[in-house]
Amino acid sequence: MNENKRSVFAGILGDNAVLSGLMVISPVIVCGDHIRNALVLIYAFSTITFLSVVISSFVPRKLSYAVKIMIYAVISSLVYLPVRTAADTFFPDSVDRIGIYFPLLAVNSFIVFQSEVKFFRMPRGKMTLSLIFYIIGFDAVMLITAFIRELFAYGTINSKMADVDTLISGLGEPFGGFIFLGLMCGVYRKIRSMASRSKNSARGETDASGK
Amino acid sequence: MHLVNDLIVFLAANLILSQALGISTMFIAAGSRRNLVGTACCIMVFTTVGTMAAYLIDSALPSRLSDLRLLFYTLAIGVMYIGSLGAVYSIKRLDFAVIRKYIHLSAFNCAVMGTLFTISNKARSDSSLMNFAEYLKFGFEAGLGFITAALILTAAYRKLNSSKVPASFRGFPAMLVYTGIISMAVYSLK
Repeated sequence: MNENKRSVFAGILGDNAVLSGLMVISPVIVCGDHIRNALVLIYAFSTITFLSVVISSFVPRKLSYAVKIMIYAVISSLVYLPVRTAADTFFPDSVDRIGIYFPLLAVNSFIVFQSEVKFFRMPRGKMTLSLIFYIIGFDAVMLITAFIRELFAYGTINSKMADVDTLISGLGEPFGGFIFLGLMCGVYRKIRSMASRSKNSARGETDASGK
Repeated sequence: MHLVNDLIVFLAANLILSQALGISTMFIAAGSRRNLVGTACCIMVFTTVGTMAAYLIDSALPSRLSDLRLLFYTLAIGVMYIGSLGAVYSIKRLDFAVIRKYIHLSAFNCAVMGTLFTISNKARSDSSLMNFAEYLKFGFEAGLGFITAALILTAAYRKLNSSKVPASFRGFPAMLVYTGIISMAVYSLK
């Protein structure tokens, strides 16, 4: 895979927003203890982030940095309104449970800062594709975290009883979220370093055989 | 004894340790003493002044339009953001390059916006909190809470980033686990 393609797919594994950049971690820590919460957050994050970044990409580049950041935040606040209305219709119980973390998704660092530093430096097509993979990366982490925490904290999978012998109720609390996410970050880094080491050694062998 | 009780209440209400609001900003702030002071001061100003603006917005906005709070809070913080950059530029032009990065970091983040939403929701469920002084007090306490959490992290920052910690867990993962343990201690105080 060449560098260009790798940078597009980076959002899922190589440069995951949550595990590598520690972005948008508050909802994962506090609300990521149940699959039904995760589904609402995935819907809200994906829709708000995608629409806000794509619309914000049309903001003139010539404006000063601070003005652009403010415009991005206002755009995402406007995008939030229909997303929230739809969420109230489709997930009425879950929206209440998520509470303040729903509107906070609209001012996430992806929209407010990363868009300027990362996405708007790419051509629009590549930016859109890369953005989709970053969003999938967040969604995957959110879902995995919610699945494991729900299973071991409450002994259920999406509110259906599962046969789990040992329950760790603390995993459903915010402190459990901190510790679990910390461990997940460590495991992710280990896997990433092992993958890059094996890739380097494979490249070294190819070079040696070429000579 | 009252002082101990107050301290416990203050720690238990800490937005970072109990609600994980502004956690990534805190990790950046804890990196050096200079960052800590700069970011903490800016966050304190934004939460305190922001809650004043939130009070005005909440008083004027009918409850059926409560979904518009985000938009108005964003506009209020945006005005504060640009206003504070303008103020620093005109008052301390020499230090502008240093101070502006703290303002950029502090304006739009979960610590500030989360504080506004938390006090707003509390005031909606308990009407005795719906006054200017309570909002202001909450904003100030949230800023102090940020400083406290950042100081707790700064105390262990060097050790969590030392070579004794396995490479995969060095830095952010270790800091998350450490914050989790502190959060667990705070949870037990509730």
